[in-house]
Amino acid sequence: MTMVDEIRATPSESESSEPVGARDQRANPEVPASTSQPVFDVEGLSVHYGSFRAVKDVTLPIREHEITALIGPSGCGKSTVLRCFNRMNDLIESARVGGSVRYHGVDLYGDDVDPVEVRRRIGMVFQKPNPFPKSIYENIVFGPKIAGQRGNFDDLVEESLTKAALWDEVKDKLKDSALALSGGQQQRLCIARAIATNPDVVLMDEPCSALDPIATLRIEELMLELKKDYTIIIVTHNMQQAARVSDRTAFFSVDVNDGGQRTGRLVEFDVTDKMFTSPTETETEQYITGRFG
Amino acid sequence: MTDTRGHFHQDLQSLEQNILDIADHCINMTAMAVEAVTAPDLALAARVAAEDEEVDRIYLETHNRWLNTMARQAPMGSDLRLMSALLHLNTTLERTGDQCVNIAKMAQVTKDLPRSERIVGMIEEMGELVSPMLRTAVESFVRRDADQARLLPEMDEPIDRLNRNMYREVVACGPDSMKLEWATRMMMVSRALERIGDQAVDVGEQVVFLVTGEFTEFADGHDGDRV
Repeated sequence: MTMVDEIRATPSESESSEPVGARDQRANPEVPASTSQPVFDVEGLSVHYGSFRAVKDVTLPIREHEITALIGPSGCGKSTVLRCFNRMNDLIESARVGGSVRYHGVDLYGDDVDPVEVRRRIGMVFQKPNPFPKSIYENIVFGPKIAGQRGNFDDLVEESLTKAALWDEVKDKLKDSALALSGGQQQRLCIARAIATNPDVVLMDEPCSALDPIATLRIEELMLELKKDYTIIIVTHNMQQAARVSDRTAFFSVDVNDGGQRTGRLVEFDVTDKMFTSPTETETEQYITGRFG
Repeated sequence: MTDTRGHFHQDLQSLEQNILDIADHCINMTAMAVEAVTAPDLALAARVAAEDEEVDRIYLETHNRWLNTMARQAPMGSDLRLMSALLHLNTTLERTGDQCVNIAKMAQVTKDLPRSERIVGMIEEMGELVSPMLRTAVESFVRRDADQARLLPEMDEPIDRLNRNMYREVVACGPDSMKLEWATRMMMVSRALERIGDQAVDVGEQVVFLVTGEFTEFADGHDGDRV
């Protein structure tokens, strides 16, 4: 069964026969081509919470084995967009997603797509480390067990913790509570837990904002290692972090209407080197240099 | 416009002022050095050397402050480009000051030697061409005027031409060994002035980078090494 088949609850005839990548360059011709394939192809994405429009008109491709950073001021909708990549917004009753998010060419919001399988393929790490109140070992095997895997998980635990650069620190205390770990270790455990289900993409929502600078640098270093195996999308308030780790950066801003409603929009998306040295849009330039208004 | 990095931007302005101070010194020193060597005027030559000490002081201070600012502020966008340009200009203009000292030093070693008035005229002409180049380079930086900066290679061409022709004039002094020694020293002066012209072009390249975000060397209208 292919990756595309896996996320579908039932096969569909509605799938586009267009080759993956063909739409990518059309979506944003300004962004230089890459040898890596697009994993996501987002077009005209908008998100409403009830009548409130949180984000509008987001169009961007996300490429394989790259780190894409979503940056912007508070309320610009970057976390909302991130949650669209694994249908986390489905869990919010009033949320409504418009436009299209195609994952390896498949409409992620198609009727035939299983959101649970989507979240297995597209893992997520949150702002605050949130290990389960279980042992380190049980945290890692929780997802695979839920997914129906059976047998000996020792190799999976070692592999996941090694990939998350945590194995050497915890290999002798796998049965200890995960809650006894430091904040940085807990966050790396959450990354190990996310990759234990063998995902394709890892979404990170401010993964270092609750960590000290050294733990932050370890996570950043880890991200650079993980991108060999995974595609990573990170939301960060820390521009320096985006500059340090990402290959491409999307800058979001926020429009405020007369009624005070804030709607996020994508201002610019480009390779990170360009975004932080000579961005095209004045708004981006003003944001990264700290000048507003 | 709200500036959330006001202190950093004040630091940037202060660093830029340092560079403009060095540039003012260099413009002044170039004119003095040419006059010192063509007169010759040893007192003026000494003033060039003294002014270069001030240039070196500002250069070192700027370098140290630049490093601290870079380490603390992690600039981005146009701020980052300005920081890059400031570092480059600091080094380039400090070398311009050194070239002025090289020229001025020749006043001492050539003061008792017979001269060629034709060569003196060429050195004076080069001086008259180089000073406006430095002013143009600095003005384009202050105004962030890429078009003005792009004028510099063309302004540099007659200086290169005079420098190339200098070789022929020096050879013509051949039969008189004392005059030949003087002329050989003037070839070094010519070379130093040609280098100052190139440095003004380098400043112009940084201005274009600062304004456009693209760093390219100007088309070679300033090939000073061709003889």
